[in-house]
Amino acid sequence: MSLLTRLLERNLRNSGAGARRLYSNHAEEESSATKHEFADEEFRVLNLRSTSQATQQKRKVFKKEPVQPPRHQKMATDQDWSAVWPGPRTFQPSVVPLPLRQGYTEKGAPPPSKFANAELMKIPNFLHLTPPAIRQQCEALKKFCTPWPKGLETLENCEKRFPIEIKSTDYCHALPTIRNPEARRVTLNIKLSDLKFDAHAKDKFLRLVGDRYNPNTGILTIVADRCPLRKQNYDYAMYLLTACYHESFVTESWESSKSEADMEYYSFERNKSKQSAEAIINWGQPVEEAKKLNADHGFAQSVEQLINEGENVYNLGKYKEEVLKLLNISK
Amino acid sequence: MSALRNLFTQRASTGLSLHRLTSALYSTNASAGSTVVTQNVASPAANVAAVEKDKLFSKLEIELRGVDPAVLKSYAWFATTAASHLNIETGKCWAERKPYHDRLTLLKSVHIYKKHRVQYEVRTYFRYLNFHKLTGSTLDTFLEYIERNLPEGVALNATKTEIQEIPEHLRQPPNEI
Repeated sequence: MSLLTRLLERNLRNSGAGARRLYSNHAEEESSATKHEFADEEFRVLNLRSTSQATQQKRKVFKKEPVQPPRHQKMATDQDWSAVWPGPRTFQPSVVPLPLRQGYTEKGAPPPSKFANAELMKIPNFLHLTPPAIRQQCEALKKFCTPWPKGLETLENCEKRFPIEIKSTDYCHALPTIRNPEARRVTLNIKLSDLKFDAHAKDKFLRLVGDRYNPNTGILTIVADRCPLRKQNYDYAMYLLTACYHESFVTESWESSKSEADMEYYSFERNKSKQSAEAIINWGQPVEEAKKLNADHGFAQSVEQLINEGENVYNLGKYKEEVLKLLNISK
Repeated sequence: MSALRNLFTQRASTGLSLHRLTSALYSTNASAGSTVVTQNVASPAANVAAVEKDKLFSKLEIELRGVDPAVLKSYAWFATTAASHLNIETGKCWAERKPYHDRLTLLKSVHIYKKHRVQYEVRTYFRYLNFHKLTGSTLDTFLEYIERNLPEGVALNATKTEIQEIPEHLRQPPNEI
């Protein structure tokens, strides 16, 4: 309303009706001025030049809106802050009631105040996440949450009941696209002790699976990446596990041609070591089946342990003792 | 092999309902030796669709990357506070001491002056949060709440470790060859 009258006044002034009476709600001074002219009852001389000066003077005196004091001065200390700052916003100094100062100044000068402080405006603030606000929001979210089932408090219980672990990653980055090609990757972890095998199946399964099995931890890891969707990769990982498991119980015809070189463990009975040891024990004696001395069971065991488990101080010590016993060399 | 395939598709086709309902719970008998799992499927009157079982997650690992370590610290504080309100067990939370500096060394001038260069760098700070023992609905709710309040200049990677039972076809050695 006042804007329209202001425009109207301007137009009227430009058209040359300087002393004309103007009806306006807010220009009380002007109305009082016009009243003055009428009270004198002189002949009103039309003066075009003075009108421009008058308009210029009138133009200079434009009414400013009264500037309200900053809002934070009127805030109560016990107000509901989450109603004042409900969501993430740029820092607004007139709203935040804290006497913050930020910025570098030369020695002796105080840091710049919060008004017109670009440093405070640049950084993301957490004024929308004050402790009461978080509490309120969490109370509202609680109805969507379910409690952790009883009986699964300890990790051992969880592992015993739910041995399979499926790992996947979600990515939340500030990029033009919400997609991330890494998000489709699925990792399946299972302890092989939780699956039931017989000896042949175990050996075949380990050969099928190869590097994916870690013998130190006993965990099988299958990483599925080849499908475009996470669900498909999960299904593929489960399919691989199932296929390997079922396949390991099937004995093919060519498996009978497994030779000593293919064996995954060392057996004393099948190897040269037994023959060499017995040759040493039966040295010089006539070759008779009945009187043939056999290598000691302890010696056999120590050789197997040494080769299967690897060389360490204990195994080597044990082997040494057995050899001494075999050759009848007393210490 | 075709039997396997059938098993595989059957497993894949269950649980495709988009509308996740949070009312299904696993409840286990804590008595000794009992391994029977009773699932309390309390379907509210309003939901007609098939009730999806609530998943179980043993771990949620969150990796935060940002340009401002103070913002990361505040955000981690917010996340751990929210977790404590929602009764989520908080594990180890730590920050890398040093950021990763991604530097670019470019020529200062458009033409010649090889000896005069200018260097730019972007520093990325890292922070890690771990949460344990969450159900599927709790995890979804918590993760969405966290992600919606992610400030500008911070990226989040959430690695979820779901735990599952051994499926039926892997529990016993197969009979048929």
